[in-house]
Amino acid sequence: MFKEKTTEEIQAASRIAGTSKGAVYNNPRYRAWFYQLAMMLGLLYFFYSIISNTLGNMEALGAKTGFSFLSAAAGYDVLMSLISFDATDTYARIFVVGFLNTVLVSVIGIFFATVFGFIFGVAHFSHNWLIRKVAITYVEIFRNIPLLLQVFFWYFAVLSALPGTRESLSLGEAFFLNVRGFYFPRLIGEGGSWVVYASIFVAIFGVFFLKHWAKKNQEKTGEQFPVFYTSLGILFGLPLFFALVTGFPFTIEYPVLKGFNYTGGITVIPELMALSLALSVYTGAFIAEAVRAGIQAVPHGQTEAARSLGLKENRVMSLIIVPQAMRVIVPLLNSEYQSLVKNSTLAAAIGYPDLFNVFVGTALNQTGQAIETIFMTVVVYFILNMIISFLMNRFNSSVALVTR
Amino acid sequence: MREFKPLPAQPAPVKTQGAVAWLRDNLFYSPVSSIVTLFFAYFFIKYSIAMFDWALLSADWTGTTEKDCTSEGACWVFIKAWSQQFFYGSYIESEIWRINLSILLLLAVIVMSFTLPKNIRLKVTIPAFLLLPFICIAILDGRILGLTHVKTDLWGGFSLNVLMAAASIIVAFPFSFLWSLGRRSDMAFIRSVSIIFIEFFRGVPVLSLFFMGSVMLPLFFAEGTNVDKLIRVWIVLIFFMSGYMAEVFRGGFQAIPRGQYEAADSLGLGYWQKILLILLPQVIKVSMPNILATFVMLFKNTTFLLIIGIPELVQTLQTALSNSYWLGGHTLEGYLFVFAVFWASCFSMSLLSSHIERKLDTDNRN
Repeated sequence: MFKEKTTEEIQAASRIAGTSKGAVYNNPRYRAWFYQLAMMLGLLYFFYSIISNTLGNMEALGAKTGFSFLSAAAGYDVLMSLISFDATDTYARIFVVGFLNTVLVSVIGIFFATVFGFIFGVAHFSHNWLIRKVAITYVEIFRNIPLLLQVFFWYFAVLSALPGTRESLSLGEAFFLNVRGFYFPRLIGEGGSWVVYASIFVAIFGVFFLKHWAKKNQEKTGEQFPVFYTSLGILFGLPLFFALVTGFPFTIEYPVLKGFNYTGGITVIPELMALSLALSVYTGAFIAEAVRAGIQAVPHGQTEAARSLGLKENRVMSLIIVPQAMRVIVPLLNSEYQSLVKNSTLAAAIGYPDLFNVFVGTALNQTGQAIETIFMTVVVYFILNMIISFLMNRFNSSVALVTR
Repeated sequence: MREFKPLPAQPAPVKTQGAVAWLRDNLFYSPVSSIVTLFFAYFFIKYSIAMFDWALLSADWTGTTEKDCTSEGACWVFIKAWSQQFFYGSYIESEIWRINLSILLLLAVIVMSFTLPKNIRLKVTIPAFLLLPFICIAILDGRILGLTHVKTDLWGGFSLNVLMAAASIIVAFPFSFLWSLGRRSDMAFIRSVSIIFIEFFRGVPVLSLFFMGSVMLPLFFAEGTNVDKLIRVWIVLIFFMSGYMAEVFRGGFQAIPRGQYEAADSLGLGYWQKILLILLPQVIKVSMPNILATFVMLFKNTTFLLIIGIPELVQTLQTALSNSYWLGGHTLEGYLFVFAVFWASCFSMSLLSSHIERKLDTDNRN
């Protein structure tokens, strides 16, 4: 009786709700439409007013618009370029120069930041009290000081305190370090050098193949193959063998002191050194924290289980702990790498000619076309970050927990 | 009859407590470890003695000019002589109390947000926080309150870093809250606009935002409007922060148990009642460590202002280092001082953040 009545009531109530006689403005569906329409109109008005204001202001200033400036001669030189460049080249080319410099400093920064991060992150779990303290100090100091200050510190306080050209610090007449930069010899390939280059590629593929085979073999027979030493042997042995067979088709160009400066070889300008040092030390501190968090996230039982299986200490780390910690570390690495690329714009502070500096800095000043230059630059950083994100997500899915 | 021969006594157990045991376990547990320890200890002692001597024993503390720096050690006179510039920039000297007042107000509101009774805490501190930036601007600018007008090009130094960061995050707060709601909304258009906004401001280098603020933004305003550069950069920083904070709040919303949403619904609360009365207090609580971390990031990023020519602390240091009366090479002293200032502020905030995190952790443990 009681139950029947309730069901009836519920049905009645739902009928009323279905054919709602309530006011239209109380209906969530109409409300949603209304809010979205209001937002759309608001945004349209916002963009309309911005665009009309901008056009009006540009006309008043007599500024040019459009991307035609890209084919005009830039008329200024850049400090460092990976491709040939002089002042008569176009803005489009300077864009490429800046882009390559940005990629260069990002790659160097990411590489060393990862190295520092993993060293100090793992050092946090050392048995040695001093090493633990050194790791903690590194993280807490460099994470909490603004990156710009660190860039200035390396550039103005450390690198500019290096000796002058004539008193360069040197290593065996091949490597020189002075206030103007770091110089090292360059290999210049001759006629038969392609054989050696090809052998390097073959060696890299060979190592991948070997690793794959060794894993298959171990799964099948249980026998371990010394992959690491064999890989080292292939990587260095093969190119060396072909270099000897072809009679070493390279000449080595050493940096030589001529007049006031070293010429020849490869020069790393102090701006690049300071920026990549600061970026890698700063981001390395964050990565060390990520590594620490990742290792801490692995339950201690895993370590104990690995030890009880009889694995040695370093194998416990490399086979059991780190692969599981990677699940936590990789997503964090992704965002750290992205912020490193964004932070490389600080090049503008010390004059390293990265994309931001040569384009938003100088090209904007010369052409006055703020919107175009900033837009182009921002798009590049977006794309770079998307590439990093894509690669790291691929990597992440390879380390993610595989569940059946 | 065999003679009784007691077994030799067992060796005393290796000490597992006390200083010696600690040293053995942590510093000298293996030959390699001992070598590493001695190596680090050697360098640490060697350099810390030299550093100690340079920074304290043979340093110059008294005086007012370059000539007072006679010894081999650090020249702290340089810091002393420039300290007013470092903290207040070129702000008119007789009006510096206004900067102090602004910072005191900020501290007062922060203290209030921890100490007020819980039933009125959010009701008082949220409006106080939101009004604070505008009150501070009125005090610092002075025109509205009938004080001497101090132009924004004179604002600078460390106080500018602090106030700029605080003012940006405070104003970004409500916006970021709305953006995070938008991102969680069921309405497709509002959701996609929110996602685009958030991802744009998170994906763009902050320096390019500063350039947008200083070069592009003037073009967006109607002809004839002249908005101060510092205000423009402030607007840009607010946008930047609301993108980041929106993600912090989204994490906060996700951390609230589903039951809280359902309980609010079953009480018959409307959307805004549910958000403001049930969820907002909990979201702010669980996001507090992340809010602080974001604030530290913003605070460090305020140094980038020097690139568009705003005289914050690092810019002031550069000016001081190239001053013709102080060319004695005080680079190291200057950088160490500015390092110390930033490090102390950021590190204390990260300590606070981990303290809050621990406190929250025990709260949730049933």
